[in-house]
Amino acid sequence: MRGHFANLVVYSGIIAAFFSVLTRRDRREQLRFGGLVWLSMVLGVLLLAYLMFPFPR
Amino acid sequence: MTEPRPLAGRAVADVSLGRTVLALVAGWLVPGAGHAILGRVPRGAFFFLLIMGSFGLGLAEEGRLALYSPRDGFLTGLQLVANVGVGPADAFARMSVYGEAAYRLPDQSDPSHAPRIEKFRERQRSALSAYGTAFLWSAGLMNLLLLMDVWDIAKRRKD
Repeated sequence: MRGHFANLVVYSGIIAAFFSVLTRRDRREQLRFGGLVWLSMVLGVLLLAYLMFPFPR
Repeated sequence: MTEPRPLAGRAVADVSLGRTVLALVAGWLVPGAGHAILGRVPRGAFFFLLIMGSFGLGLAEEGRLALYSPRDGFLTGLQLVANVGVGPADAFARMSVYGEAAYRLPDQSDPSHAPRIEKFRERQRSALSAYGTAFLWSAGLMNLLLLMDVWDIAKRRKD
């Protein structure tokens, strides 16, 4: 994988899938919780990146 | 100390101490195997794929295989725990990267110091190495969390 965004998407997917199966038993709940975690991670990072944009290294 | 609460509405059969220990050891050796031993085979297989997938991506992206250094013992120790959590797969990865299952940065007087630190730094030069490190450490930490889950299942605190 050669892209930062691809890494973000895949990493968030792995973490979301792990915690949804670890903490939820019902399939529908797992999908809902996993989707929420994945979306929060991806959007959270994009938001953070946007906020940090005016402050380059 | 609180007693473990049996799950409501389920037939509760105790898991013997021997089987619990076996599940914990197997779970560390092969991610997901602890769940399989306790009868949660599909869940164990899913966790295996997830953790080994994360570990494989971490290696492919040249993630950091931490070396313990007494100069920064606390942080490098934590990094090592995160790496080793994934089980013997970490040792095999170290053998392929460092030529041996190296866990410690040798003293500067040691002739193996220079080549090992060079190998260590070489992997970090990759632009995606930070992501690789996140994948590797997450794999180890997820497996450690799974061991706690195995314990909870064995103690009937969890389904």
